[in-house]
Amino acid sequence: MSAYEFKLPDVGEGIDAAQLIEWKVAVGDPVKEDEPLAEVETDKAIVVLPCPADGVVAELRFEPGDEIPVGEVIAVIESAAGAEGAPPSRPPERAPVPAGRGDGAASAPQPAAAATGAAAPRRPLASPATRRRARELGVDLAAVAGSGPGGRILREDVEAAAGAGGARPAPSASSAASRTAPSGETRTIPLRGVRKTIAQRLTEAWQTIPHVIDYREVDAGALLEARDALRARAAARGDERLAKAITLTPLIVKITCRALAEHPYANASVDMERGEIALHGSYHIGIATSAPDGLMVPVVRDADGKTLTELALEIAALAEAARERRLAPEQLRGATFTVNNFGALGIWLGTPIINPPEVANLGIGRLERRPVARGDEVVIRPILPLSVSGDHRVLDGDTLAAFVSRMVELMEQPVLLLEEAR
Amino acid sequence: MVVGELAEPVDLLVVGGGPGGYAAALRAAQLGREVTLVERGGPEALGGSCLHVGCIPSKALIELASGVERTRALGAAGLVCPEVSVDLGRFQEWKRGIVAGLAGGVEQLLSRRGVRVVHGSLRFNQPGRAALTTPDGDVRFLEFRQAIVATGSRPVELAALPFDGERVLDSTGALALDAVPASVAVVGAGYIGLELGTALAKLGASVTIVEALDRILPTVDAALAAPVERRLRGLGIELCLGALARELGDRELVLETPDGERRVPAERVVVAVGRRPNTDDLGLPEAGVQVGPDGLIPVGPDRRATERVAAIGDVVAGPALAHKAMREGIVAAEALSGEPAEFDPAAIPAVVFSDPEIATAGLTEAEARAEGLDVQVSTFPWAASGRARTLGERDGFVRLVADRASDRIVGVHAVGPHASELVAEGTLAIEMVASPDDVAGTIHAHPTLSEALGEAAEVLAGRPLHVVT
Repeated sequence: MSAYEFKLPDVGEGIDAAQLIEWKVAVGDPVKEDEPLAEVETDKAIVVLPCPADGVVAELRFEPGDEIPVGEVIAVIESAAGAEGAPPSRPPERAPVPAGRGDGAASAPQPAAAATGAAAPRRPLASPATRRRARELGVDLAAVAGSGPGGRILREDVEAAAGAGGARPAPSASSAASRTAPSGETRTIPLRGVRKTIAQRLTEAWQTIPHVIDYREVDAGALLEARDALRARAAARGDERLAKAITLTPLIVKITCRALAEHPYANASVDMERGEIALHGSYHIGIATSAPDGLMVPVVRDADGKTLTELALEIAALAEAARERRLAPEQLRGATFTVNNFGALGIWLGTPIINPPEVANLGIGRLERRPVARGDEVVIRPILPLSVSGDHRVLDGDTLAAFVSRMVELMEQPVLLLEEAR
Repeated sequence: MVVGELAEPVDLLVVGGGPGGYAAALRAAQLGREVTLVERGGPEALGGSCLHVGCIPSKALIELASGVERTRALGAAGLVCPEVSVDLGRFQEWKRGIVAGLAGGVEQLLSRRGVRVVHGSLRFNQPGRAALTTPDGDVRFLEFRQAIVATGSRPVELAALPFDGERVLDSTGALALDAVPASVAVVGAGYIGLELGTALAKLGASVTIVEALDRILPTVDAALAAPVERRLRGLGIELCLGALARELGDRELVLETPDGERRVPAERVVVAVGRRPNTDDLGLPEAGVQVGPDGLIPVGPDRRATERVAAIGDVVAGPALAHKAMREGIVAAEALSGEPAEFDPAAIPAVVFSDPEIATAGLTEAEARAEGLDVQVSTFPWAASGRARTLGERDGFVRLVADRASDRIVGVHAVGPHASELVAEGTLAIEMVASPDDVAGTIHAHPTLSEALGEAAEVLAGRPLHVVT
């Protein structure tokens, strides 16, 4: 028998510690190489650590919730060469439900097994359909404030919580009790992982970057026609996946790349210590995405070199990966510009906060049919509001406006993209 | 372990074809899984104890017995029927027809959804591997990706009164009688004992019910049990409470009571003292599945006992009820297929087909107080219900338990005619977090028994029309 000491590997560039979320195994479990061993959360993502070797788990040195420095031994695996026969019996992964009350509120004639345990945590005031939706979206109902009568949690509340990044991994049976506080009391939630990163990064951004914001209204008629035509073509070919992926976002990313190429100060970063502005030759576009653990910005690399179809499929795949918490740290790094489509959340005009070291962030609001003047006529047009934040250290009102004006021009007349199409 | 044995690959293995097992198999098949269902009793046993020797046959017997009883009771209403007689032989034929029809339905559903049904008894011998012994004694090996244990439960035997299929019967034997015995002693005043004892008494047997505890239906609120106890006595059933069955005598049963030894007539003895989970002979430890000292398998909210094995129904904690097993089966099938599923009912309804029926869902008043709720209770008596009176019923009530703080119904309890059907509305109210005002504001048809629920809600809302508070 030999023991293998498993050290926390470097799970991502520049990360020196990770928080243990969950062991996937218990001491005494037989394990196989590459089986999931543990889930850890870094500042940027949730990572599943595979088991390094075949054997039996001899030691697990940390508890869920612990911060583990990279390089620390987290588990010891005994390799059980030659040990044949039945593996040791495995305890259930989940804590058993207490008899009786834990199964819901069965108060019925039932076998004597229904021992009365401690009072169960108070049930969330939600119907079965709402509870199902919460499970689908990974929302912890105990943390959702209901907007219905008497604090009842409605399906909309769950969906809003998921959209606002209120979604949490479904609580395990054991943590559910500790999470739930009686109504009226304040619950404290440790500021860790993705949430902590968001808090630190945005505080830094808001405190150090002088934001200048350019607000516009775009007549999106032609852009919508373009989207519909592309979508219809994909559908006609029977490519449902692509048809679904063709939204305004890939079109806007395409347009953004063109506008950025013409306005290099919007695709830049600033280093105050060195006293340098870097104008980037690559166009890596971050797509702000609501994910179960909070805001995630997966990055489409070299977006300028990709066809619209490629962009559409890649953005859809990144959004899905973000929702399923499958994004790797390298998929979240290196953006030179961010597109933030918050219109789906119902927001008309928002204030995009710049994601350093980038210097601009494009916010897209809610598309609405609105009455507008065309000549002396009032006509109804689909209007898309834009709000573009620029870092005033790099972009002045006029340089930002020039970039945004070009964006608006290309969005209102996407045919102009043909001008320099190769 | 035999070396070199060939194992058949199975995607999802469901062990047991009762209500939980077949529901799990159907749901999993809907989700695109390839399901193999193993039934120990063979394809004709699909539907489990519930269908073959439990819920369905007992309801058939109760229907016959209440028909007899109602024919007598309606004498006062003007029904003249000088002689009512019962042919249990014909009943058995009728019952077999019902059961066979329903079992055929289950088989058809499974086959249409592409579930493979295998005949034989199964034993796990490794995680991911099981041996199946077919009726011919052949042994086949199955290598499964995932499994759902749904093996149900069986009646508990008393050491002093082992089942012999002749004098001492379990519930299965009692439901298979083809003649009404002159006298029957029923040991156990839980719901199974009461249902059987009541039916046999209505069919003409002289019935004694023996219970070790000092009351009938020990797990049911005493107020709900009281009308049932009155009816049992009205039917001439002898209740021996606080009594233990000692031994079998000649056409009698010897009891030990607080007042000394007693002998009660017992051409047949029916023992219904509980059920035991079928988890002892499955090789569960070999599959990495723990079994508690009570024979139950500890599972998580998604009914998984290990990463790949789930357990549902009577083999896990909670009431041993078919509808609970069915829902758990659906949850387990979904969870093992990667769907976010949890068994999280706010209420599991429970029904006793006693006379009158008892049905409950959610919290009792005492349980609601124990949970620290701001409890409000209202009761509507059947004596104030027009429909109940035309049914010749006036004993019993509907009761609602509410939490004033959150303004919601948390419990519904009924004892009376068709309580088994009435509980559904209350269960929905609990799941939907309905306010008493929601139920009171819903128009209930007149004249029906369901009005009582609306009236009980009106009482909670503080404005009842038909009761004076």
